[in-house]
Amino acid sequence: MIIFQNVSKYYDNQTVLKNITFTVQKGEITFITGPSGAGKSTLLKLMYLAESPDEGDIVIGDFHLASLKEAQIPYLRRSVGVVFQDFKLINSITVFDNVALSLRIRGVKEREIRDIVSNALKKVHIRHLSDSYPTSLSGGEQQRVVIARAIAAEPLVILADEPTGNLDPNTSIDIIRVLRELNAQGATILIATHNRELFRGTGNRVLKLDGGNIVGEEAG
Amino acid sequence: MTFSYSFKSAFKSLCREKWINLLSILTVASSLLIITLTAFFLYNIEIIANSLPERFSIVAYLKDDLSSEETQAVIDTIKRRADIAGLKYISKEDAIKELQHTLKDTGYILEGLTENPLSSSIEIKLKKDFVTPSSAKHVAGEIKKTAGIDEVYYGEKIADAIHLLRRSMQNMSVIIFLTISSGVIFVTYSTVKILFYRRKQEIEIIKLLGATKGFLRMPFLIEGGSIGFFGGLIGIIGAMLFYLAVTYRLSMVIPMLKTLLFPFEILVVLPLIGIMFGIIGSLIAIGRLKL
Ligand SMILES: Nc1ncnc2c1ncn2[C@@H]1O[C@H](COP(=O)(O)OP(=O)(O)OP(=O)(O)O)[C@@H](O)[C@H]1O
Ligand SMILES: [Mg+2]
Repeated sequence: MIIFQNVSKYYDNQTVLKNITFTVQKGEITFITGPSGAGKSTLLKLMYLAESPDEGDIVIGDFHLASLKEAQIPYLRRSVGVVFQDFKLINSITVFDNVALSLRIRGVKEREIRDIVSNALKKVHIRHLSDSYPTSLSGGEQQRVVIARAIAAEPLVILADEPTGNLDPNTSIDIIRVLRELNAQGATILIATHNRELFRGTGNRVLKLDGGNIVGEEAG
Repeated sequence: MTFSYSFKSAFKSLCREKWINLLSILTVASSLLIITLTAFFLYNIEIIANSLPERFSIVAYLKDDLSSEETQAVIDTIKRRADIAGLKYISKEDAIKELQHTLKDTGYILEGLTENPLSSSIEIKLKKDFVTPSSAKHVAGEIKKTAGIDEVYYGEKIADAIHLLRRSMQNMSVIIFLTISSGVIFVTYSTVKILFYRRKQEIEIIKLLGATKGFLRMPFLIEGGSIGFFGGLIGIIGAMLFYLAVTYRLSMVIPMLKTLLFPFEILVVLPLIGIMFGIIGSLIAIGRLKL
């Protein structure tokens, strides 16, 4: 489902990712861990072309990113649900509309949107915040809106960048449970985190990133 | 693509940035009003100029001492010309009767006269193609040379003035139309650009969520089009006020204005012209912003 083949990324002269090669099978749940600045976010950004790789090829489902036409980028992004580390919520519209946006982009009909959004919000326990604006929410609440938006359209791949960064341990466990449920329904999931608690004892695959290299792989 | 979303999003943005939008709507309205007024003047001048051939005539006064045979000869000579559409002989007796009729109650002015002071004349209508200042002058000059003709009169000054006015109005309205259209397009272009920068962050997010170009562009096109449309509507109101002012108020003072005609058709197309300019402006903005 996800293939990285000798992928490198440079910012100016700084090597952020060096010769990254790995494969994630369809339906797998994989963690990427490593210290701050290791390149976790960059690795995820390459997958939805927020940044483009300087070397190597990436395959996401049917999309070969190295040869992807610009007009195809929106469709790549729709097949991937992203929990952004910096949230990327639109503050001028409500929580409901933020989540609904990902569906409207996909051309989902308005009368179906209400139920889908409400379901997604329920999964992350913030249905009561539907009419609030993002700026009036706590960090943890905002994070859950981002998760709801990423999962609402039931994408094939979910990329979660520090999805529990602002959450207390109990809520974190709950959010991971939601992601696992989606995984059980067939979604391929990649979670970048430096919170080892999220995968300890799960037996899930963990890729260890440091200084732009994959320095090891373990079972959590 | 969900159009209802695009419309909602566009109208939300129209309301949120109401001052910018209001300002550009008013600018578009004034510009369209100027175009309308130009069309109004052009239209009326065209009508006047087109009615010239029917009204325009050359009057040739005959010498006083011609016999009826000589008079007939003059008429025949003129009749043979290729450039005239028709003529009418007015004898001095007809002329005095006409004058008496015109004077009506004040006809006593003529009572003291023992002799008819008027001349016989021929009223000559030119063919349409010859009713231009230069050919009218030419024809008049030739007629004057005809034996038995004393004096030739034609509305030289008026014909000249109207033709000049018509020509310069045509040229000017092309310039006005081009300038104003570019102005309107530029206004919507700038407005859409401002609206875009105000929403830049939001657009970046929507892009990352997988929006197509069409989805991103549609609200801006709708916004640009709406600015043009509302500009057009306000332009109609302005044009109506102008029309009422001219026909009802000014024409009391200057009765001639009553005969002016208003091309009401242009009012209907004003919002459409507005929409077209608005969309062109937004398209340029969107293109330059590589959206
Ligand atoms: N747009 C950018 N321009 C220049 N350098 C960048 C840019 N984005 C990231 N970097 C650099 O790339 C390196 C990796 O950044 P990245 O955000 O991928 O790290 P991370 O593993 O996600 O860290 P964290 O755990 O803090 O989120 C960092 O050294 C960062 O300074
Ligand atoms: Mg990061």
